Amino acid sequence: MSVASIQPTAPEPIIGTAGIPAINLDRVGKNFRLDARREVKAVSDVSMNVGKGAFVAILGPSGCGKSTILRMIASLDEPTKGTLSVLGTTPADCAANHRMGIAFQDHALLPWLTIFDNVALPYRLAHLKADPGRVAQLIDLVGLAGFEKARPKQLSGGMRQRAAIARALLLNPDVLLLDEPFGALDAVTRRQMNVELQRIWSEQRTTTLLVTHSVDEAVFLADRVIVMSGRPGHIIREVAIPFERPRHPDVMRTVEFHHLVNELTEALHPTEGTGAP
Amino acid sequence: MNSGDGSMAKNLLTGAVGVILFLVLWQVIGAYRLAGMGWPTLTSVLDVLATPSRFGTFQRAVTATVRSVLLGYVAGFVMGFGFALLGHLWPRLKVGTDQTTAVIHAIPAIALAPLLIVFFGLAATPIAICALNVFFLVYNATSSGLLSVNNTHGDLFTAYGANRYDRFRWLELPAALPSIAAGLKLAVPAALIGTILGEWFGAPQGVGLLMVAAMQNFQIPMLWSAVLLSVAISLSMMALTSLIEHYVSHRFG
Amino acid sequence: MEPEQGVTAEPIDANPLRWLYSIFARFVARFWGVIIILGAWQAWVLISGYNAIVLPPPLSVLHQVATNLGLFAFAGLQTLAVAIIGTVIGMLLGSVAAILAWYSRLFSGLLTPLALIFTAVPAVALVPVIARLLGYDIRTVIAIVAVISFFPSFVFTGSGLRALPPGSADLFRVNGASTWMQLRYLALPAAVPHWMVALRLGAASAVLSAIIAEFAMGTSGLGSVFSEARDSFDMTRALGASLVATIISVIGFLLAISAERIVRDRWD
Repeated sequence: MSVASIQPTAPEPIIGTAGIPAINLDRVGKNFRLDARREVKAVSDVSMNVGKGAFVAILGPSGCGKSTILRMIASLDEPTKGTLSVLGTTPADCAANHRMGIAFQDHALLPWLTIFDNVALPYRLAHLKADPGRVAQLIDLVGLAGFEKARPKQLSGGMRQRAAIARALLLNPDVLLLDEPFGALDAVTRRQMNVELQRIWSEQRTTTLLVTHSVDEAVFLADRVIVMSGRPGHIIREVAIPFERPRHPDVMRTVEFHHLVNELTEALHPTEGTGAP
Repeated sequence: MNSGDGSMAKNLLTGAVGVILFLVLWQVIGAYRLAGMGWPTLTSVLDVLATPSRFGTFQRAVTATVRSVLLGYVAGFVMGFGFALLGHLWPRLKVGTDQTTAVIHAIPAIALAPLLIVFFGLAATPIAICALNVFFLVYNATSSGLLSVNNTHGDLFTAYGANRYDRFRWLELPAALPSIAAGLKLAVPAALIGTILGEWFGAPQGVGLLMVAAMQNFQIPMLWSAVLLSVAISLSMMALTSLIEHYVSHRFG
Repeated sequence: MEPEQGVTAEPIDANPLRWLYSIFARFVARFWGVIIILGAWQAWVLISGYNAIVLPPPLSVLHQVATNLGLFAFAGLQTLAVAIIGTVIGMLLGSVAAILAWYSRLFSGLLTPLALIFTAVPAVALVPVIARLLGYDIRTVIAIVAVISFFPSFVFTGSGLRALPPGSADLFRVNGASTWMQLRYLALPAAVPHWMVALRLGAASAVLSAIIAEFAMGTSGLGSVFSEARDSFDMTRALGASLVATIISVIGFLLAISAERIVRDRWD
């Protein structure tokens, strides 16, 4: 399962200027309209950078606006305030140039396509010639070899998420966006998927933004963890994660790991003080 | 209470008993004239259907009706599907396509008949009314099907920079197929209604014509035979479209 | 896709011309299809030089209705009344049958396949049958409308009685609720929205089936105006009847939709 042999087939990034962060948010706010008169502030005054080749996790309780941030970066929502750029351009341009890979909590595989065709879908949408070899290699990489002809319905939840990850990696994206990709899985499968994502990522080093509410997941996978709090969503903490890559699952048993997990858990749910429930 | 813990075989058996009871009741009501002269016995109706000298008449009528139904069905499908696509691919036209379809549907088919006869002639009027009935159902099924796209799938296509056409071709159209198949099944009785109605207006041949003639000449068993023939056509088309619907909803659902 | 469109009232433009134009533009956006059809009809009449007896233009149809308002209004109201009475009877019978099927598994088992077969019956085929059974009479029209609205009512009420909130049936059973209480407090309320869908579907076809029955027998209502006009080759009057029939059927449909909306607002 050598990954080094997987060659990018997508064009080189259009914006390659060094020094510009892959993702940049400058005082971004987002309001949602409830009805004609009422609005709710989902995100307020969020500024952050994700450098090229970095793995950043946004950690927070549900409803804290972390998914909204990811959706704005993915061009699925427009910010109400502030500016937001991806690879030095707007999210919409970045999407139009097929430079993003994305995976959601819902696997979002098309039920009428086989696993192979689902993984190959970004080729079609980017109007690129399909490279069956690369599709097969990615399917192999995520451990689904032999299931190419299966339909999503026939696979387990974990297997569907693997296929979704393979699809997200297909075009060698400049930015990989993961919105609770393992949120619907059981704890055992989830840990297993974390270990595998870590392995795959350590070999590809794609700029990645992960949104999660699992502290373990964030600490094990990310170089930097951004902690958010809700109503309206804002950043309360940033923590650098020092572990070497590739990370062995044993890292999760170290004192340092537990220390970081405790620190972040405390930031999320202060044992005393002002934190909202 | 009716929670389905009865076995399948038991259900089938009860259902068969229900159908048999219905047939016996039919025979008894006819035999004892419980519903007057207008209710024939089941056997007298079957007698008419099994009379060799009438086979030619029945065959010509059924052929003409099936032909009109199929032509109208296909034409109605093409129009309904095409019109729904028009509204879907050019959203500015959508209000208008919705409204036009609603207005056409609001006009009772019988009220359109005089116009249709002028435009298409007596022989083609059954096809035209059939097509109009099918048109409405297919339009609704297609346009609601095209909007039935799962939100996350839509987000996926946006994030991957899919253009309007690709979104339609690879996402909206396949997602709409189960709804379209269900619409096609619903359209079967509507297609027959339209065809028979059209035949009443003086089509040269068809099961509907057989009905009107039998009604006016007090040939009661003949009238019921014609009704049974129309039910047989409808049921067999329903069975076929149910199979298609089952396959499509399994494959694309 | 834009949410909240039309919730905020648009300010009335100070310039009356522009205001008129915006109304006109909205009208065209909504009715372009209808405008094209009517235009094509009028144009066809002008170009083909059809005799006005064969195909009158839309305008003379309007004139026909306006000058014979009394005749059309009477016939139209008769049809509407017959359609409403027939629908009410048919829906009541359908609901009662559905409740019986809910109550007795045997009854439901006996009836379900029959109901399935009957949904495939082209409703118009029943018109001559019932006309011969009951005679050429206004009661026949009511019976036909009732029979035709019976089936959607039976099917939808039946599925509604079973569409219970998850777990609620168990809750009732654990608390030892009687069958009557289950029906009264659980199944019937659950069936109401489904029942309204049946009403909407029934209303749409009720006016149509009433007119068809009247037309087939030629005894009362718009359908008989229609069939008399046809027999005397009075195309303008036939189309006038068509126009009034359309209006009546839209009224029936709107009545059903507003009833559905009122109930739905109360129920959700």
